[in-house]
Amino acid sequence: MGYVKWAFILIFWITLGAFLQYTLPQHDVVRIVNTYEERQELNDWTRIFWAVPDDQSANLINRDVQFIQAVRANGRPIVYRNEDTGWSWPPYFKFDTANLYTEANDAISTKDAPEWVSVTHYGWRNEFLSIFPNAVSIKPVEGPDARIIPWFNIIFLIIFFAILWAIWVRWRRFRVARIDPMIENVEDGFYAAGEAIDERRGRFRRWLDSWKSK
Amino acid sequence: MFGVMRLVLVLLVLQTIAYVALSLYSRAVRRSKLRARWREKGRTGDEEAFVVRGLKAYDSSFRRKLILGVFIVPWVAIAALIYVVNFM
Repeated sequence: MGYVKWAFILIFWITLGAFLQYTLPQHDVVRIVNTYEERQELNDWTRIFWAVPDDQSANLINRDVQFIQAVRANGRPIVYRNEDTGWSWPPYFKFDTANLYTEANDAISTKDAPEWVSVTHYGWRNEFLSIFPNAVSIKPVEGPDARIIPWFNIIFLIIFFAILWAIWVRWRRFRVARIDPMIENVEDGFYAAGEAIDERRGRFRRWLDSWKSK
Repeated sequence: MFGVMRLVLVLLVLQTIAYVALSLYSRAVRRSKLRARWREKGRTGDEEAFVVRGLKAYDSSFRRKLILGVFIVPWVAIAALIYVVNFM
């Protein structure tokens, strides 16, 4: 029983962690090398990893998506998609896809004369599912080892877990004060009823016994 | 435009639920605090009357109106986010 309980707790926290990791913004220091646009088939379950733009029909099964190709400071490649999130989830309210595409094209640099930028993005890159993180903003930085402190994530996570903890503490207190005594009360009631029945039965049996010849 | 309407509707429903829950919770906390204070102060007068008077003062207090922030803060945050993401 204990294992089942811990498995549920573990699954809950892993799911929450993955969800936050996917949704919260992250910063990469990269050098942008190219941009391209490609038609994407969006007709299977990986549709959830693509945006739902406001100005596009929801029943379209394929459409053009903009991509930004970049190289990280350690030389490994990373490809971002560039899509409006619009008014839907995740709540980035990104409407400036075309502007960002322009900025990305403006920031293209060569290996010989690198121009480093910090790309803010959310989402995951997965080669097997062909999914890409969505770039949200591009800012120039001094060099490949520029350090970016994720202030938004720090503040957001502190407030988020403070609220979770506050609700949890109050729920515990409520359970101890109200629900546990009620359950005990019901259990006591059951025991009392059981004893009363036993007593009744005892009396009835005694009465029956009284008719027997000794 | 459908996206905006959906967002506004969902957020309004969530905000209303949060507002009602917070109001009820805050009032209950205030009630139990008043009871505790009445007991501390030496149980003078009628307990119910003391609590009712305290709750009446609470109903017109600024603290209670702070709960209305549930309706304001998310919209301010969304407006700030739209500005930062798209125009900064």
